[in-house]
Amino acid sequence: MSRTLVRHFVALAGIAALAGYTAVYGLHLADPPVRSDGFSYYVYLPSWFLYGDPTLNAVADDCCGGTFPEYTAITRWPATGRWVNAHPIGVAVQMIPFFAAATALSWWSNLARDGFSFYHEHFAGLSGLAYFLAGLVVLRWLLRKHFGDEVVLATLVTITWGTNLFHYGVYDSAYSHAFSFFLITTLVALTECWWTDPAWRVSLALSVVAALMVLTRHPNAIFLMLVPLYGVTSWDALRRNIDRLWERRATVGGMIAMTALCVTPQLAIYKQATGRWFVSSYGTMGFTFGSPHLAGVLFSVQKGIFFWSPVLALAVAGLFVARGWARGLVTATVLIMALDTYLIASWSDWQFGGSYSHRGFTDSLGLLAIFLASFFAWVAERPRLVQPVATIVGAAVLLSVAQMIQYWLGILPIANTTWGQYNELFLRFR
Amino acid sequence: MRRLLVVAILLVAAAIYLRDPPWIGGMTSGLRGWEGPPEMRFRWTSGHASLFVPRDATTMTLPLKAVFPASGGPVSVAISVDDRWLATVELPDPSAWVRHTLPLPRRATSRRFRRIDLRVNRTIGPFNLGVQLGEIALH
Repeated sequence: MSRTLVRHFVALAGIAALAGYTAVYGLHLADPPVRSDGFSYYVYLPSWFLYGDPTLNAVADDCCGGTFPEYTAITRWPATGRWVNAHPIGVAVQMIPFFAAATALSWWSNLARDGFSFYHEHFAGLSGLAYFLAGLVVLRWLLRKHFGDEVVLATLVTITWGTNLFHYGVYDSAYSHAFSFFLITTLVALTECWWTDPAWRVSLALSVVAALMVLTRHPNAIFLMLVPLYGVTSWDALRRNIDRLWERRATVGGMIAMTALCVTPQLAIYKQATGRWFVSSYGTMGFTFGSPHLAGVLFSVQKGIFFWSPVLALAVAGLFVARGWARGLVTATVLIMALDTYLIASWSDWQFGGSYSHRGFTDSLGLLAIFLASFFAWVAERPRLVQPVATIVGAAVLLSVAQMIQYWLGILPIANTTWGQYNELFLRFR
Repeated sequence: MRRLLVVAILLVAAAIYLRDPPWIGGMTSGLRGWEGPPEMRFRWTSGHASLFVPRDATTMTLPLKAVFPASGGPVSVAISVDDRWLATVELPDPSAWVRHTLPLPRRATSRRFRRIDLRVNRTIGPFNLGVQLGEIALH
């Protein structure tokens, strides 16, 4: 039974995701998918391919009377007067096949070819849904190599619906998070393959995925630490990794060059817009490293990841009980997640604007799923714990789904939720 | 081989259907929801709005209101039909409804609907508001 469910899990999640997507847009629970952050991640595509204009001027003239609205986070750089998009090009690059299909269909059906037709909007939305499902495919492949079917099934269900992953694959699917979830999960899978056998295809794929991660969200570069720290459980293991990297230095050099080459178009865009290769595209917004909101991003009712997705506490427990292959990822994961949490907590808008749960952590759910699986594997060896843990996890998943629906219905605030509001709105659907 | 043939047939059938689907007449983009009293309902456009009219319509009357002025000149709305420029309407008084009746070109088309595009020369505020568009009268 578990084997069958694991085999068909992505198809079932896909059906649920399409049903959710149809409900969101059929019932007008949200504006069309290319909205808010989704707009600025996407806007490169019409600009490049429909207007032939990398400066974003032509699309600004057409969509917005010459000036992008404030919510897009696309601003004129003071020194040059040119448009600078706070969000990089990675999501747009990954959307290209979907955009091409939408453009062809828009032409065929005589819809406006401005990049915001019905087809363009929904192919952009469905691209995020597709990458969410692709991420699940990779995660399932990875987990099945190291865990039993029952553990894999429990992990996939919990990570999909016990966190905000499903929400960012369906409701806010044109944002970057479903894309980053796919990329980081793929990075883990490719890193394992690369340490086993650094074939040129694997090396190339790892380089391209690394570049796309940086192009999708620059701070996600920290996840690349996973590659050198893979399997490190002691200082000796670290030394062995360094030795092996040195032995493979020609390959590693080629990979770094390939990654740099793939990132170059983004740097060229910054150079054209600002006159500099490296900029903070958010302008006046930035990090406040001296006063991080650590408690806020981890535990608060506003956006605390453990408050809104309590099942992730079990992934933390999994770090302590992980064995075998997963044990070799603990050091890298602890370092990466500590740094990621510090960066998220230090961002001037530490809630990341409107979101369900904290979307800063959605990108890393593929990595955290490994430790969720480790915890479930540990529980599976202790029969007395199975029933109570299953009950608690089941309740937490159901609560997460209920709260996601409340968010979709506009009942839960998109940000700055107070304890009083949370209590008053708890499990209310009207 | 048989599977490929089935997929190809389905794709061709979908393409034929999607060239001129009946529901396209109700499709719009760049337009917010209906607002205002029943006697003068309107929708806000963004910088670029699209809608469809039946191909047998010979004229259309577009009620337009700028509401917010443009800096350095009147708000203008460029109107095109199936990607061909038709007219540019100026709205010098932001508070007045302007009703322009425009002839629709009698070019032959095999489609049921023609696409009308409105492009506004400025937008306002965080919601990217262009102009107010009332209910279009077709003859």
